Amino acid sequence: MSDSQQTHSQTQTRTSTTDSDQPLETTSGETVEETKDEWVEYDFRGEAKMVAEDLDVYYGDDHALKSVSMEIPEKSVTALIGPSGCGKSTYLRCLNRMNDRINAARVDGSVQLDGNEIYQDGINLVELRKRVGMVFQSPNPFPKSIRDNIAYGPRKHGDIETGLLARMLGRDDSNEERELVERSLKQAALWGEVHDRLDDNALGLSGGQQQRLCIARCLSVGPEVILMDEPASALDPIATAKIEDLIDDLSEEYTVVIVTHNMQQAARISDQTAVFLTGGKLVEYADTDQIFENPRSQRVEDYITGKFG
Amino acid sequence: MTRDDFQQSLANLRTDVLEMSDCVTDRLERALTALETVDEEAARDVATADDAIDRRYLDLESTCIQLFARQQPVATDLRFVASSFKILTDLERVGDLAVNLAQYTLAADRKRFEEVDLSAIGTLALEMLDDAMTAYRTDDAALCRDIADRDDELDTLCQRASERVVRDLIEREVDNGDTWAVEELMDDVSRLLLIVRDLERVGDHAVNIAARTLYMVESDPALV
Repeated sequence: MSDSQQTHSQTQTRTSTTDSDQPLETTSGETVEETKDEWVEYDFRGEAKMVAEDLDVYYGDDHALKSVSMEIPEKSVTALIGPSGCGKSTYLRCLNRMNDRINAARVDGSVQLDGNEIYQDGINLVELRKRVGMVFQSPNPFPKSIRDNIAYGPRKHGDIETGLLARMLGRDDSNEERELVERSLKQAALWGEVHDRLDDNALGLSGGQQQRLCIARCLSVGPEVILMDEPASALDPIATAKIEDLIDDLSEEYTVVIVTHNMQQAARISDQTAVFLTGGKLVEYADTDQIFENPRSQRVEDYITGKFG
Repeated sequence: MTRDDFQQSLANLRTDVLEMSDCVTDRLERALTALETVDEEAARDVATADDAIDRRYLDLESTCIQLFARQQPVATDLRFVASSFKILTDLERVGDLAVNLAQYTLAADRKRFEEVDLSAIGTLALEMLDDAMTAYRTDDAALCRDIADRDDELDTLCQRASERVVRDLIEREVDNGDTWAVEELMDDVSRLLLIVRDLERVGDHAVNIAARTLYMVESDPALV
């Protein structure tokens, strides 16, 4: 245990022993210290795959994320919940530097992947986003065949070479590509539904199938972390259930971080839940069981039980 | 259902559970009085009026299931509905025990074993039940723990009473030739042991209610 974690544990003890007579949250006058107290109540298990420390994000003058520190354990599902505009998607996008694509965005603080800082000069963003993939709210397959959707990334990265030129150069990875397409689609629980029409246009698939195709596409480049931004919000309950099953399976091999507005979904599928509230603050981060059974923060309690305003 | 309606439903559920507990407590109190005074009419009244409690129980159980299904309560709300759901079962069982006590009164129109203070045992059990429901009504965690502590006292009283009856039975000289007297004595002894056991169970249900209430208030499953 590092020195800083040691300090946090002591803080945790102090917080829990005085829990009954010391309100953790007030609607005004909250301090950064208070937020940290709640964060450290999370009993961290397993290795941290990603660690954010004192992460601040500004969109121009808007301070969208305030001093968020949070460890994401590997091979588990971490859910980020909170009202619109609370900073959860902003935080998610920091994890593979997608915010770099927004000109007005400025990021301060640190994010580490396997202990290595991703916000350092000279980092290879393509490589980073291979390792930390992303699936978006609306399924966004390329207007290409199912096969091409999966093989596009690996071809682009030069991991596989196929076609006439490859054959002329004495390299033909057709078999590897076939295997990769099959493996990725199987991992995304889509193979059974599409194996006999791999050359059909992906846009002909249903919404749920398209989303699983996007997950397969993400898997094809061999990520370690998968970020999902409301991956099931545009899907019906059956497609949603398939995505949720898939997330559960994926978490055995991958580290999954999911933003969702659907609190029941967070409760169903995640191992730990982080609650962001208005103002870009991480208010509480704990085992999902604890968040939904007995949250420490009154504001989190009010949010998840629907007592707004 | 809007969130305000949902909060109102939770408030109503609490009121309804408390009303059911008033009804059950009243039934138990009357059963104990009937037992004490050998009042057959009062006993018959308690024994035949359990249907209303059962119906209320099923109604409220259904209310809880609907709240789970339609509102998917979490946090305090979840603990409240889940605890109420369990407490209802305990109350219904206490209602059944009141019926048992009434039936014991009806089965024998006489008093025996005057030296066993059933009234003290009954009063303590009733008090524990009453306090458990007060804790539920007022979210009183300390009272919950207190009830759990008092259960040992009740258990001791019950054990002493049972031992006393059995010892008395062993020491009593019965004319073996008088079959009727032997039968009657056996009947009285077994009935008294059943009464003691049922009153002890009332205490157990009171502790269950306290345990669920403690979980409801502090998310502390210590007594469960």
